[in-house]
Amino acid sequence: MADDYENNISDEEKLPDRPLECSECKKPISVRYTEIIGGHCTRTSMCADCPELYRRLHGTSTRSSSITQTETTAGLACGNCGTTLESLYVGIPVGCSVCYEVFDDVLLSEMIASQKIPSRITIPKKSTPIHIGRAPGESQEMNPSLRLLALNEALNETLKKEDYEQAAWLRDQIKALTEHPEKTNE
Amino acid sequence: MNEGDSTQLILAQKKPWNDNANAIWLASTVNLLRNIEKFKFPGKLNEERKKQIIALVSKELLTMNSLAQPSLIKADIIGTLEKEFLAEHFLSAQNYNQTEAGEGFILDHSGEFLATLNIRDHIHFQLIDCKGELENTWSRLVKIETNLGKILNYSFLPKFGFLTADPTQCGTALLVSVYLQVPGLIHTNKIDEILEKISDDSIIVAGIQGSPTEIIGDVLVVQNNYTLGLTEENIVSSIRSFTTKLLVEENAARNTVKNEDSSEIKDKVSRAFGILIHSYQIEAIEALNALSILKLGIDSHWITGIDHKQINELFFNCRRAHLICQFHEKFSQENIPHKRAEYIHKSLKDVKLTI
Repeated sequence: MADDYENNISDEEKLPDRPLECSECKKPISVRYTEIIGGHCTRTSMCADCPELYRRLHGTSTRSSSITQTETTAGLACGNCGTTLESLYVGIPVGCSVCYEVFDDVLLSEMIASQKIPSRITIPKKSTPIHIGRAPGESQEMNPSLRLLALNEALNETLKKEDYEQAAWLRDQIKALTEHPEKTNE
Repeated sequence: MNEGDSTQLILAQKKPWNDNANAIWLASTVNLLRNIEKFKFPGKLNEERKKQIIALVSKELLTMNSLAQPSLIKADIIGTLEKEFLAEHFLSAQNYNQTEAGEGFILDHSGEFLATLNIRDHIHFQLIDCKGELENTWSRLVKIETNLGKILNYSFLPKFGFLTADPTQCGTALLVSVYLQVPGLIHTNKIDEILEKISDDSIIVAGIQGSPTEIIGDVLVVQNNYTLGLTEENIVSSIRSFTTKLLVEENAARNTVKNEDSSEIKDKVSRAFGILIHSYQIEAIEALNALSILKLGIDSHWITGIDHKQINELFFNCRRAHLICQFHEKFSQENIPHKRAEYIHKSLKDVKLTI
């Protein structure tokens, strides 16, 4: 009996805590979505008008579905500044940093649609950083040879075209930079 | 700072384009956008909160060693002429005419630094450079930005980088623009072919007022297309690489013009000179287009008595607000085209056409 009791406790402990807010937009939970694929079970808690719920029910997140999504989730708004999903779609700037968390997927799909993310970047999972480079408090030094690299690249191209006049102009620039390296690294 | 002092400070700024003898590279601007943690972005702030931001930022920036005697100018104490002058001076894509109380500008004595406060983002740091020193300019701006960042925390998420009011500018929030004057490529009709050949999806090319199709004064603005997903060094180096290729092509096109001695181009140069010298009134766009063609004449030795440095100065100084400030007397809006023509005649009085 005591064993059974202990088993019950440990079973309960295994269950994750029921989240109080939608994992997507921080609204109160109204739908608990359970998906069983093969032997694997995933549970997600969402608000009623969650874009994530729409995606799970109708699959995909193509451009056309995201437009339909606007209609179904028009009530979505940032709890901190009141910016609505509708206003984002008509190009009104985001209102605060919390908007980036609330509208995470929407902003990302907008950036992809307007080709503002390099195509070589595959869209990562929810929490993976897309940003590369400095974070607050970090400084970055420019590699002083960067300008030389660009000049050398252009020089190689002009030599291929046998444009010796332009090649000479580029060589002069390279010479000036290598003789006065402080100019590139002031 | 009172209204008179602010006006004086804006209008008496050093002009970074003076002494720029470069025939192609007119200017470049490096911009960093930053918002302060825990505050909503300016569009959602009331005047009082905006003033708090100004107080926080200016307290630090005005005592920063890397700036030369910086001053704060509040947007509500200066007039539209001063605002237009600032936008022209820093080649800003947006005009500042609608700026109001709770918004402001920090300038220093170099004539190269501008920080706008609470216009779209809390802070928009900007440096203008007319020497072709893109990398150094970027380093200088980063130094100012990181110094301020030691005291104020910027809005940042690991996923989206530095957060901006326009989500397509988040990440590095670095915007770099290079202004190249390419009359050689444009008037020999090679520009489309060359731009296609060297095209790079990380770069966008537009006209001086942001339109990709309307090119004014043969100036192409080369800008980074992405701010997220690549480092600041990548952005600067891809701009440097693209502009170097464009410079080489423009040099080659100008040499072709010179060597081919084409009647068509000679005619364009003669007409441009005629318009500048003989017009009674002239609009800015017409003047900028004609001045650009004069550069072809200088390179081909068809025009004497002026050099690229003077043309560059004239190019920047004949824009509306700068033009008005050249004259000490007041004149009406309708009189501006005539005053522009007068100013150009005076500047070109020693120039001869030798075709």
